[in-house]
Amino acid sequence: MQLLSVCSEIRLRWRRHFTAIMGLAVGVCLLLVLNALSGAYKEATRIPLQDVGADISIQRNGDVPEELNGVVFSCSAITIRHDEIEAVRSMSGVRSVAQAVLLWVFQDDKFAMVLGIEPENPLGPGRLKNYMVRGAYLKSGKQQALLDESFARDQGVDVGDKVTVAGRDFSVVGLVAASQAPKMVLAHVYIPLEDAQSLAAESKGVQTVSPFSLQDANVLFLTADQEAIPALSASLRTALGDKAAISTPETFLRKLGTLFALSDRFAAAIGLIVLGVTFLLVLKTVAGSIQERAREIAVLKCLGWTNGNLRKQITAETLAQCLLAAAFGVVLAGIACWVLSFQTLDILIPWEMSPTPHFLPGGGEPVFRTVHLPVGLSLPALGIAFVLALGVGSLVSLFCTGRITKIKPSEVLRHE
Amino acid sequence: MSSPILSATNLQKTFGDLVVVKGVSLNLDEGEFVSLVGKSGSGKTTLLSLLSTLELPTSGAVTLCGKDIVRASEEELALFRRANIGFIFQSFHLIPTLTAWENVAAPLFPEPMTQQARREKAVALLERMQLGHRLEHLPGALSGGEKQRVAIARALVNNPKIIFADEPTGNLDSQTGQSIMKTLHSVNKEQNVTVLMVTHDMELAQNADRTLHMHDGAIQ
Repeated sequence: MQLLSVCSEIRLRWRRHFTAIMGLAVGVCLLLVLNALSGAYKEATRIPLQDVGADISIQRNGDVPEELNGVVFSCSAITIRHDEIEAVRSMSGVRSVAQAVLLWVFQDDKFAMVLGIEPENPLGPGRLKNYMVRGAYLKSGKQQALLDESFARDQGVDVGDKVTVAGRDFSVVGLVAASQAPKMVLAHVYIPLEDAQSLAAESKGVQTVSPFSLQDANVLFLTADQEAIPALSASLRTALGDKAAISTPETFLRKLGTLFALSDRFAAAIGLIVLGVTFLLVLKTVAGSIQERAREIAVLKCLGWTNGNLRKQITAETLAQCLLAAAFGVVLAGIACWVLSFQTLDILIPWEMSPTPHFLPGGGEPVFRTVHLPVGLSLPALGIAFVLALGVGSLVSLFCTGRITKIKPSEVLRHE
Repeated sequence: MSSPILSATNLQKTFGDLVVVKGVSLNLDEGEFVSLVGKSGSGKTTLLSLLSTLELPTSGAVTLCGKDIVRASEEELALFRRANIGFIFQSFHLIPTLTAWENVAAPLFPEPMTQQARREKAVALLERMQLGHRLEHLPGALSGGEKQRVAIARALVNNPKIIFADEPTGNLDSQTGQSIMKTLHSVNKEQNVTVLMVTHDMELAQNADRTLHMHDGAIQ
């Protein structure tokens, strides 16, 4: 094989190779972009849960409170018993668990969403720490509260004041920008978990609908081994029953609808079609090139090149052409991904996962988490692109180089 | 007396019902310059193909440099050509994408040697052909005479024992043609390379050691 003549051939006869190189480059680009897009959608659907550092969230659907008075549970977050929580904790694939208690508190003519959180747990609502606006963060066991800054403003409450929840006073130690915090931990008042558990356990409104004891919770956040998530999701459903609302990235993925379904379901099929078309294109170019270069091939045979020498040379040219096409394809795909990364995607957070009463402004309206599509080219995808391009080249060479043996110098040169 | 470098016995070549070469027998000695003349369609080029291993005869035998080429495989013949034969064509047949020195080195490309060694060999031959200033030029940038001198250098690069030249001056003006012939004769004399040249130019043919006349597929 002569690298020198491979380069000369492509450089000096670029018009001949241009169509095949660009065709294959577009094919490689399309494959990479489809793959990146599919990956980006999947990655994007992790974001709502990643916002709270979780892989899975669990709630349980129940009955609507009989009366909107005092402390009640939203119908989408009723009791998950302590023994169930322990069972979840011991499941295979579960790494850590965070608990929360979400309460709707009606007192006099006021309403507040109260979320009991584990302040020291970095998983789940503990992430509120990142959205502090003023004051100090919550500490367990001290009857403290964090308030959403807008809620605090509406109520005329500030850091250092007291806030009353279901007849209990809590010291306001800090304000958080809840509107910017993950939608899944949206509340007006954040208090330590044990206080929220105690409020729920003492509430007649809660107990009537869903018996609750001091160590129970109504929202769980889990981190889990990525590959275990699908199986874990099924085990959780078995353990917690049909009314359990188990949210995984797959849950959000399903809500993305057609666009993702199309790009994901047909990525492989489109990829195969594209590969097939580019294979035919390269095949046509190489076969045409051999035909056009019959005289050169005949001359080289006269000069003592064996069929094997010529086969190697044409194969090297084809592979070089395909590598060049793959490189072009990668560059094109990089540009396409960069452009696509400016696109935003609205991921619907189901109402059940961020239950806001319908009588509140905006309550009941769909809540979205808007993310920039995390489109990028992964190293394995790049590797696969090059391997596929080389595969196309090898296959084309295999099909085409047989023609070389059929070229008879005496026949070709006789007509010169 | 030494054995001939090329010996053909009762060579016959047919294409379907058409007999193109009819029972040709000939011998070429080492260092001999032989011209083969004949009218267009007399079978000169076909005979050249048969003698130079590019085509197999329908019947008859050819021994070239001691090798029975009729019984050899295609692979063996290719390697044999690389080791023993040089070709010069009327239309030069240089590879358009290779520079002058690369064209000269083309027969050496399959050989296990360094690129530097190939280049040195090619450059030496091109300098001998007074083309030292054209090493990096593509064939498209060379004149007809220069192209043919590159082709002669290419034919010599593997130190052949015999050169087959098919109308080497056919595409050149008479002055350039004479210069090419001079080069061919000097190669023949200085390197003791046997030359079999097909031509229809009787004047050029007369400068050969021996002239074979071909008519209607047979040597007369």
